[in-house]
Amino acid sequence: MALMKKRMIVPVRLLYGLCLMTLAGAAVPAHAAGDIHRGEDVFAQECAECHSVREGKNKKGPSLFAIVGRKAASIGDVVYSDALRQSGLTWNATSLDSYIAAPRKAVPNGKMKYDGLGDAKAREDLVAYLATLH
Amino acid sequence: MKNKPNSAFPGLRAGIARRCATLLLASAGLFAGGMQSAHALPSFARQTGQDCAACHVGAYGPQLTPAGVRFKIGGYTDTDGKDGKVPLSGMLVGGFTHTKKKQDEAPTVHTDRNNNTTLDEASLFVAGRLAENLGAFIQWTYDGTEHHSALDHVDVRAARTFDVGGKDTVFGISVNNNPGVQDPFNTMPVWGFPYTSSAVGFGGGDAATLINGGLEHRVIGASAYAFWDNSLYAEIGTYRALSQSIQADTGQHRSGDMGRLDGDTVYWRLAWMQDWKQQSFTAGVFGFDTAIQPDRISSGPQNHYHDVGVDASYQFLGTRKHVGTIYTSYIHENQRRNDLFTKGEATNRTGHLNEFRINASYYFDQTWGVSAGRFITRGSRDTLLYSDGYANGSPNTTGSVFQADWTPFGKEDSWGAPWANLRLGVQYTLFDKFNGARHNYDGNGRDAKDNNTLFLFAWTSF
Repeated sequence: MALMKKRMIVPVRLLYGLCLMTLAGAAVPAHAAGDIHRGEDVFAQECAECHSVREGKNKKGPSLFAIVGRKAASIGDVVYSDALRQSGLTWNATSLDSYIAAPRKAVPNGKMKYDGLGDAKAREDLVAYLATLH
Repeated sequence: MKNKPNSAFPGLRAGIARRCATLLLASAGLFAGGMQSAHALPSFARQTGQDCAACHVGAYGPQLTPAGVRFKIGGYTDTDGKDGKVPLSGMLVGGFTHTKKKQDEAPTVHTDRNNNTTLDEASLFVAGRLAENLGAFIQWTYDGTEHHSALDHVDVRAARTFDVGGKDTVFGISVNNNPGVQDPFNTMPVWGFPYTSSAVGFGGGDAATLINGGLEHRVIGASAYAFWDNSLYAEIGTYRALSQSIQADTGQHRSGDMGRLDGDTVYWRLAWMQDWKQQSFTAGVFGFDTAIQPDRISSGPQNHYHDVGVDASYQFLGTRKHVGTIYTSYIHENQRRNDLFTKGEATNRTGHLNEFRINASYYFDQTWGVSAGRFITRGSRDTLLYSDGYANGSPNTTGSVFQADWTPFGKEDSWGAPWANLRLGVQYTLFDKFNGARHNYDGNGRDAKDNNTLFLFAWTSF
């Protein structure tokens, strides 16, 4: 029985992985080349002080679980700046990239205290990682 | 930080009545190397929504990451924007202390000459944001080894960020009761390694510079500072001695009054911090100048202290899985002992004292940590100033500190977050030289190594 369960798990995981890749690819086509594992490290280095990737875990900033495809400033439990609420942004590969590159330029008068990530490859990896968070 | 004038000075423990001004010069050692206070406050985590690990190396205070540095400079006011945060915290530090050879006398009337299990500190804090641009760190501490409570560290700040040349610049004011308590870089004595140590063991020699705890909690000061572009930090301020009645009202022992500070007292600080997220470094200089009239007589002779220090630190933070740090500082103090010399308590009218510190730490998974440090105090000889309890009229002490600790909480998914944190540790302090000699430094056959101190501690905050 245990062996059967183990055998079942492999194709299920494969299918799940393929689904994730498809979703990620659909959502962030420009970042399909991003290195997800490196992106996870970039997240730990640049973002994790203020953000969690766990669903429903809002720290100083909102949870980044399922960030791709989400409307900006849309989590009820988070106090956003007026600027971000009125930005009309929806987070996709392009808007995430430009926001992470220079938050204050992308959303003037926003409240995120982050100077920005200048390394385009690191941003690409980070966005690729964020796209896996579903 | 504890203020234990009766137990902290071996000279007093031996029944030798040394004048307080002399103690400032020659007997601040256990302030310097002894009990260090501890900052690891869940009220900050509750206020910001961040984990302890965001601001503290090893997920426990007071060792600050660059994020912690910014939070402190920002006046303890940063927040996740939600209402209902109460800026109150508590802290307990307890431990077991064993010295290689039992002490000549019990450290306090409530403890034994060796193998003491103690509640070293029970503290309550008002710590966090009080208003939009106003924050505080105010600590009241019960000392379980003395059965006595007193006002501990105070640092009340107003800070606001402005745009200067296109760069964010924080301008702030700190009102505090200990020169250096406001510093955010963990290299100056108040917040330097070791971050906690035994209240009833030995943490350093008996001689220390004035900025190394000699005035703590007996003065009130104000300083103005600026922090430009998260990099350049500059601060200048001044201090005055609290009146004896205010000192008594805040729980300080009257016997520890150091006297009146000169009106020209100056504290200054200049530092650079470079934060690359994965690693950071700081480098800086600092100083403290004052003159003290021990008898509070306006025309009386004064003892002058001129402290200048240089410091640097490096942190490898990476993905926070492996974190390494190095800190170092060097303080040079020039003394002009007009009052001490006049009263026959110092042989020489002038002298100097130097303190060098270096330490390094490694934390795995923000949980398991090992640290090591080296301390060296050297100064000019003076057979009167460094007499009882010293060999050869020398203040020289050298030694090392080793520590291993475990911090199970303080991370994102930790139990009790953001309400509780805990550190368990073992610390060993060993001396190569103590108060001027390796052997028989006190004239009664006690060697430096006899003061080697084992400290097992539990440190929790909530």
